Amino acid sequence: MLHPASGTGIFTAGSALVIRFVRQGCTNRPFFHIVVAEKRKDQHMPVIEQVGTHDPLPNEHNEKLTSLNYERIRHWIGNGAVVSKPVEQLLGLAGFFPIHPTSYMTAWRNRIQEAEQQQNTIDDQQQKHTHP
Amino acid sequence: MSSLETATNYQTVRWMRKPLWMPTAKSKVFRIPVRPKIPEDESKELMRLHNNYRTQIKSLRRYLTYKHCTRFLASEDPEEKRKAFEEDLKHCMELNNKWNDTQKILREKYIAEQLESELDFARKRIEMEMIRAEEKMSEIEGIVRKEKESSRNFITPENIDESIEHAVENPTDYNFALELDGGKFLGRNEVYKLNEQEKISAQQ
Repeated sequence: MLHPASGTGIFTAGSALVIRFVRQGCTNRPFFHIVVAEKRKDQHMPVIEQVGTHDPLPNEHNEKLTSLNYERIRHWIGNGAVVSKPVEQLLGLAGFFPIHPTSYMTAWRNRIQEAEQQQNTIDDQQQKHTHP
Repeated sequence: MSSLETATNYQTVRWMRKPLWMPTAKSKVFRIPVRPKIPEDESKELMRLHNNYRTQIKSLRRYLTYKHCTRFLASEDPEEKRKAFEEDLKHCMELNNKWNDTQKILREKYIAEQLESELDFARKRIEMEMIRAEEKMSEIEGIVRKEKESSRNFITPENIDESIEHAVENPTDYNFALELDGGKFLGRNEVYKLNEQEKISAQQ
């Protein structure tokens, strides 16, 4: 029988719990459920509880929509659930956690890359100007 | 396999990634993966950020554990819990009863209105049925009247001899042609008449 995506609430006492993504959606259309699950279980096994969703594709207003149930996330972290890195990044951006170091890193690397590209274009233009 | 290798028109397609138990591909044996080069200041900054992050998360986790962990919460007084529950239940019941009362008034009004409209509908239906029955009756009566009127000219056992006599006396002759302006063209001077023998046979 198909298990509910919202979670079964069943888990072994004392097992390691984790808050992580489950990739739903289909080919070329990712969609993630944020769930509390047992760490040793497979991604698509029945989960304990769903605590949010994340849509990584920007919508028509250029927004990536995410929903989070803070109350339950607080409860599960309080009861020993660890948080996976992508979810940590997301929670950081949501303001629930401190910003994750990788978010900072990606940001500054992007900035450096952008600056380099701009410099390159300026150089190209100057070269064209001097040697038409 | 050798026959496969020699066949030039044959191309093997691997549809998934290489299974783990297969050896390193021949073309990849001497490949040395490039190590990522992270500048020293960047790595130092990352280290600092990670240390901070871990500290913050640790304190956050500890706070949440104190607040939400079921093992800590289990020490609550059951009597107090029950009291709180009963109070909440009482409040809920009061609210529910209030809603029920308002709903009851609305419901009764609604039901009365519905009944009235249904009665109206039934009355209208009866009226319509009556009108229809009357119309039907008048239609039937018209038919009967017409039939009665036409039955005056019917041939009955009483007047059958008379009518035969009349028919024999006045034979109708259709043996003519019509002219363009509607006049009859007999094409002969005498009108056909039955002889005695034929009259007797017609009467019989």
